[in-house]
Amino acid sequence: MRLMPPNAPLLALALAVALLAGCATRPDPADPDAVAEFEQNNDPAEPFNRTMYDVHQGIDRVVLRPVASAYRGVVPQPVRTGIRNVLGNLRTPVILANDMLQGEPRRAGDTLGRFVVNTTLGVAGIFDVASSLFGVRGHTEDYGQTLARWGVGEGPYLFIPVLGPSNPRDLTGFGLGIAGDPLTWVGQGVAVDVLTGVRGGMTVVDTRESLLDALDDVERTSLDPYATLRSAYRQRRAAEIRNAGQAAPAAAGGTGFGVGTGVTPER
Amino acid sequence: MIRFPRRSLFAAAGLLALPALGLAGPARAQDNARATQFIQATGQELVAALNDTRADLATRRQKVAAVLRRAVDIEGVGRFILGRWWRQATPQQQQEYMKLFEETLIRNLSARFGEYQGVRFSLGRSQQRTEEDVLVNTIIERPNTAPFSLDWRVSEVGGQPRVVDVIAEGTSLRLTQRSEYSSVIQRNNGSIQALLQAMQGQIAQLAQREQQSR
Repeated sequence: MRLMPPNAPLLALALAVALLAGCATRPDPADPDAVAEFEQNNDPAEPFNRTMYDVHQGIDRVVLRPVASAYRGVVPQPVRTGIRNVLGNLRTPVILANDMLQGEPRRAGDTLGRFVVNTTLGVAGIFDVASSLFGVRGHTEDYGQTLARWGVGEGPYLFIPVLGPSNPRDLTGFGLGIAGDPLTWVGQGVAVDVLTGVRGGMTVVDTRESLLDALDDVERTSLDPYATLRSAYRQRRAAEIRNAGQAAPAAAGGTGFGVGTGVTPER
Repeated sequence: MIRFPRRSLFAAAGLLALPALGLAGPARAQDNARATQFIQATGQELVAALNDTRADLATRRQKVAAVLRRAVDIEGVGRFILGRWWRQATPQQQQEYMKLFEETLIRNLSARFGEYQGVRFSLGRSQQRTEEDVLVNTIIERPNTAPFSLDWRVSEVGGQPRVVDVIAEGTSLRLTQRSEYSSVIQRNNGSIQALLQAMQGQIAQLAQREQQSR
């Protein structure tokens, strides 16, 4: 994926300026409940984030949602599952690196074993036989989670158009994920560029498709979808970092909307 | 000012409860089984009400409402969700809010009668205990949709097991909803009336969807 802007420091500066311009007014310090809530929300740049959310909604309405919806309508479920499995399998280097960085040898072993089995028996990762035949389920890991395990705070909440809910820590993790992925650096030439482009594009479409129902529901029923998403993202991310509960599929991205999408329950 | 004595009372209650902790082992296991059984029974009732296609809409909604009123600690959850604004609301607003909250809860399900046609549910693998309550894991299956898992937080309220929260993939519904409601109030300069109006609008929308989803 070539999502890193060529001029990252400049972008960071622009972002910082915009953030300063869009700071939320702090609540009256005499009101402890209001202060507690302000800190709980962890969203000091709320006005800026809400603007970014509106920008995202515009893009989503015109491009992302229609494409995801068409993808669901045209491509049959088994094929979509196969595509998700391939994307998950391709994320192995990132997941494996983070399993190890977090000192989780068992999970690292699962990840490695799954890669070997699914790439061979599973025909280049199309079929998740490691899960269906051997009962070794996939899980997601990313650099944002590793940073969290290492004690790095999340920083203020951020909403990034297209990417979705995030924060400086998870955004850094996202960048590291791309920079640290061997597939980013393998080979050169048009064919490689096309393949990485296709992979990046498919990741976006697959993620958005898996969220069609959930996001439609939030849009339709929440009195404040922005606040609902913020709360949901932060809770879900915390659960992922704890490695709690159901395992998210390997294809789930580490930041933004991709977090923990399409979790299949264990039985 | 009122909070201080209440807190010390709470601490005193905690101290009184200390000797009882020794007996907590078997009692906990029993709690666990009780909560699981309660969710199993409630789930069956709810699924039966949702799938009862012979009854008309209003009857089905009443059935679902009856199950929810019995199984959910509506009062406690409603207060939790309004959070810090509860104390700032007038008694009339509190009453109005509770009425709207209950209605929202029921309509949120009844507006989805169509979607939930043929829903099945089973107990999941893990049932875990926390300090005050039990998390009961279930798996919800609908035709043509990937199954998903829901955790039900069951607490003892007035000696009866009651649902106090629903957790989907690490996200607590009551926390998310608290954030949502508080945000609506805040963005309307602290007006609780604004939230009540928004809730009314939402209920009207859900009622409309209920008619269409048939």
